[in-house]
Amino acid sequence: MKKREALWFYIMVSPWIFGFLVFTLGPMVYSAYLSLTEWDLFNAPKFVGLQNYIDLFTKDRIFWKTVGNTFYYGLTSMVLGMICALLIANLLNKPLPGMRVYRTLLYIPATVPVVASSLLFIRLLAPDAGLVNQFLALFGIDGPPWLLSTVWVKPALILMSLWGVGGGVTLLVAGMKGIPMEFYEAAAIDGANSRQQFWYITLPMLSPVIFFNLVMGLIGSLQTFTEVYIVTGGGPNNASKMIVPYLFDNAFRWYKMGYASAIAWVLFFIALIFTTLVFRSSSLWVYYESEVKK
Amino acid sequence: MNLNIRLPEKITTYAILTALSALLGTPLLYVFSIALASDQTTYLAKFTLLPQEFHFENFIRIFQMDLNFARFFLNSLTLVFFAIIGQLVSSSMVAYGFARLRAPGKNILFMILLSTMMIPGEVTMIPSFMLFRYLGWINTLLPLIVPNFFTNAFNVFLLRQFIARIPTELDEAAQIDGLGYFGIYYRIILPMIRPALIAIAINTFTWNWGWFMGPLIYINDFDKAPLALGLQILSATSSSAQVPPWNLVMVGSLLLTLPMLVTYFFGQKYMDEFGVIGGSAAIK
Repeated sequence: MKKREALWFYIMVSPWIFGFLVFTLGPMVYSAYLSLTEWDLFNAPKFVGLQNYIDLFTKDRIFWKTVGNTFYYGLTSMVLGMICALLIANLLNKPLPGMRVYRTLLYIPATVPVVASSLLFIRLLAPDAGLVNQFLALFGIDGPPWLLSTVWVKPALILMSLWGVGGGVTLLVAGMKGIPMEFYEAAAIDGANSRQQFWYITLPMLSPVIFFNLVMGLIGSLQTFTEVYIVTGGGPNNASKMIVPYLFDNAFRWYKMGYASAIAWVLFFIALIFTTLVFRSSSLWVYYESEVKK
Repeated sequence: MNLNIRLPEKITTYAILTALSALLGTPLLYVFSIALASDQTTYLAKFTLLPQEFHFENFIRIFQMDLNFARFFLNSLTLVFFAIIGQLVSSSMVAYGFARLRAPGKNILFMILLSTMMIPGEVTMIPSFMLFRYLGWINTLLPLIVPNFFTNAFNVFLLRQFIARIPTELDEAAQIDGLGYFGIYYRIILPMIRPALIAIAINTFTWNWGWFMGPLIYINDFDKAPLALGLQILSATSSSAQVPPWNLVMVGSLLLTLPMLVTYFFGQKYMDEFGVIGGSAAIK
């Protein structure tokens, strides 16, 4: 009986095992090998040892610029996005009529696929004819040239990511609905005002959801590609070029497959270091309900 | 959350939310305004926030271009349909295995599964490209569809959590009634996890419908492109005047967004449920 159960286990999980070997493990091993070669896709790969990594770390200033840009964009948009989402969710969680309607309205931009929102923001942020600068002009503000400026291009992309803040709001509101009413009632009896209730009940109770979003957001923002490819192409002067678009250029534009593989591995380790840090630190600030129950 | 909200607080809440909705909604109004603009206005890029022209024929013209927009749509539907089927079948099977069946090596395999969630897809991107090139699948939808039949670790993980909440007494009762392991999966578990399956279908749809990088890598011919890539091609294909046909691009953007909106309205209920479970399950 037990053998049969084990057999069925392996039958049921076989799609994953196959997929893992063929689409994950195999490619990872091959990619590690490729990162030690020079390969243009047409001639045989030439083994060059650690040369790609040495070039990456010592010679390639554009690569380090892309790393810096990715962090600038990723961290800023994530932190701002989380703060905005928390504030909005806290408003939407009030027991007032019409909150569902607002929630839906605020979510709509998050349903717009990145390709479409990217194209839209090209128009919105056009220096003279764009809506944003026309709006700023109403207040006598001479709007920046956004996508054409090395200084403003990253804030422009961050602005674009904030347009989709409704996605995070929905998750947080759902999380807030799960917090037992009694907590708030008890706090109200003790004389806690709304702000205190937010800081001492809502925020700690939500910390697992926030944590989850941070981890996923972190990995996601490291992989930013489409916005950059469509809106800026990485320009001006590489001011908005990020790691994955640079990897893409190396692999599919310049056919430097070995070098691109090395970039992919550096990206992998950056992601690994950051998720480890977040997980390690989580016990300091994430509160799990079950910890109390045990 | 004060249960008795005083009037000033009520007013500020509504005021802030109304202002925010207006702020986030304005770009959408702009999309409509551009989509309804004439070619002349488009050429001059003199768009206004409120539509001043109403060229509804743009919504028909987009299907009459040299670029076959109806074809893009069809390609996207094909991609999304098979991606959903693949994810539902494979992820539910694998999740059942991990949630219910005992076997040597299971825990190690599950740890591996969890750790694959942290691997950025870019690490496997180039070798996968080689593999699909070797198979002769470049310029087809196959590289985008087929991996879905071999699960996605995230979906497996969420479904496993969902299955773990179903009382095992149900399985035992079914076993006494003579159902085998596959029967339990098919007759007991699958019907019970239907809300989670719908949520996964919605997620898979959302992800694949707007997916850009995969199609960009694998598709070369315009008539093989899914909608998201097709739209980018349209915006990059300059008209004779070297200006993207912004009015048609925005029509295309609306067409790309509409299915997402519809999915949101009908799927909200399932996604809400899924969101909480995803949020709290992933870290336990």
